[in-house]
Amino acid sequence: MPTLANGADLAHLHLLLNHFPTIGTILGLGLLLLSFGRRNEHLKKVSFEVLFLIALATLPVYVSGNAAAEALKGQAGVSAAAIVAHNDAALGSFIMMEITGFFAWLALWRMRRIGRLTTGLTYTVLVLTVLTVAAVSRAALLGGDIRHPEIEGGQYAGLFGAGSGPSFISALAIKNFVLQHPFVWPTCETLHFIGMSLMFGVLMIVNLRLLGWLRGMSFASVHRLLPFGLMGFGINFITGMFFFIAAAEQYTQNVAFHWKVVFLMLAGVNYLVLTVYDEAWALPASAEAPLSGKLLGGSALVLSVCVMYFGRMLPFIGNAF
Amino acid sequence: MLTTLAQSAFSTWLLSSNSIWAYPTVLTLHTFGMMVLVGAALMIDLRLLGFGRGIPVTSIERLFRVMWGAFALNAVTGTMLFIADADKRGPDPLFWTKLTLVAIGLVTAKMIKRGSFDGHVEPVVITGAARRLAVVSLFAWTAAITAGRLLAYVG
Repeated sequence: MPTLANGADLAHLHLLLNHFPTIGTILGLGLLLLSFGRRNEHLKKVSFEVLFLIALATLPVYVSGNAAAEALKGQAGVSAAAIVAHNDAALGSFIMMEITGFFAWLALWRMRRIGRLTTGLTYTVLVLTVLTVAAVSRAALLGGDIRHPEIEGGQYAGLFGAGSGPSFISALAIKNFVLQHPFVWPTCETLHFIGMSLMFGVLMIVNLRLLGWLRGMSFASVHRLLPFGLMGFGINFITGMFFFIAAAEQYTQNVAFHWKVVFLMLAGVNYLVLTVYDEAWALPASAEAPLSGKLLGGSALVLSVCVMYFGRMLPFIGNAF
Repeated sequence: MLTTLAQSAFSTWLLSSNSIWAYPTVLTLHTFGMMVLVGAALMIDLRLLGFGRGIPVTSIERLFRVMWGAFALNAVTGTMLFIADADKRGPDPLFWTKLTLVAIGLVTAKMIKRGSFDGHVEPVVITGAARRLAVVSLFAWTAAITAGRLLAYVG
């Protein structure tokens, strides 16, 4: 299979994407605050959708960052410590971002169910977003310290830099934990397969209903199972990150992994649409979904099978494992 | 016998062919079948345990067909994978543990179908026995996945 992107392309991609999490979360926070000021529920919903999409987009930012670090390694004027500091801060902010995205999704799902946003979830997302903005700004600042000689003389350069306090989380410590304990990898693999089955079970029941192969239940009743799908995704996200952090170079240069991330992004957008999907919401038990619903259902199943396919093919396509 | 299988032309082709259509595809189809089979089983179990109460029990009966279809796929691909590694898998107790767990899962699914689906009309009453079977099913399938996955790492 031809490569999708080499190391330099991925480093380039990292430079292209790395502003999305910072600007995206600030934008999400701004929209959320504006929705309070204007007492506008719709705007609030939009801000949650933005936060979910930014959480999704942060995955390629993080993984391409590892490729960029490999491309930069050993180059003159680049401090390895600065890269480590940025990577650790990025990992911490990535985790914050995913937690925020999860709660934003949960708020959207609850809203779809009960018809309004709950105060508890709204404020949870607000607090998490503020914390994420702080974490991601720190990661961005440390990223700038890697190779921007023009800012070195600045009064604030290195303000949060390496040595400015212990890092919240260490990628190297995670890597060592996975590689030094022989039980961790097989355990994560097992959980990864169980999470996948759980997620796909939910996707089957929801999307086969939309496609009309399963009948006799309302869309609202299967919508109730969506959190189980996200639970499966959560298990796979965590275990998948253990694999990636422990052996990043096996994935950054693996074309099957690149395709897997591409399909994961598309499947994630699809899941969001499924969660807030209006057209099928009032669909009674016996009614057929509109064409848009069938397309949505069909693409959800195809995309998730593609994610599985390229995951399973990681050792066989592209670089050897 | 096991060695004969493992040394057969089929086994040699499956294991040493460089074609993406050999071992990788059979393994991926086996993974796909597992995901579909266990995914459908988990949904039936969750419904019986009281999640998604709005879903009429009778409306998910078709998921059993999905399960049988996925099982057929995995019986075929699983046999192919066994032949390829017969001398290694044959004496491995973990492998037979996995097959036993799959058998428990399938028998439990049959019992669930008979107890809560066959000939039932809405509203279906979910009995304590049905819920216990759902728990057995959840346990059997997750344990079968665990045993199957560990085959790649243990021994």
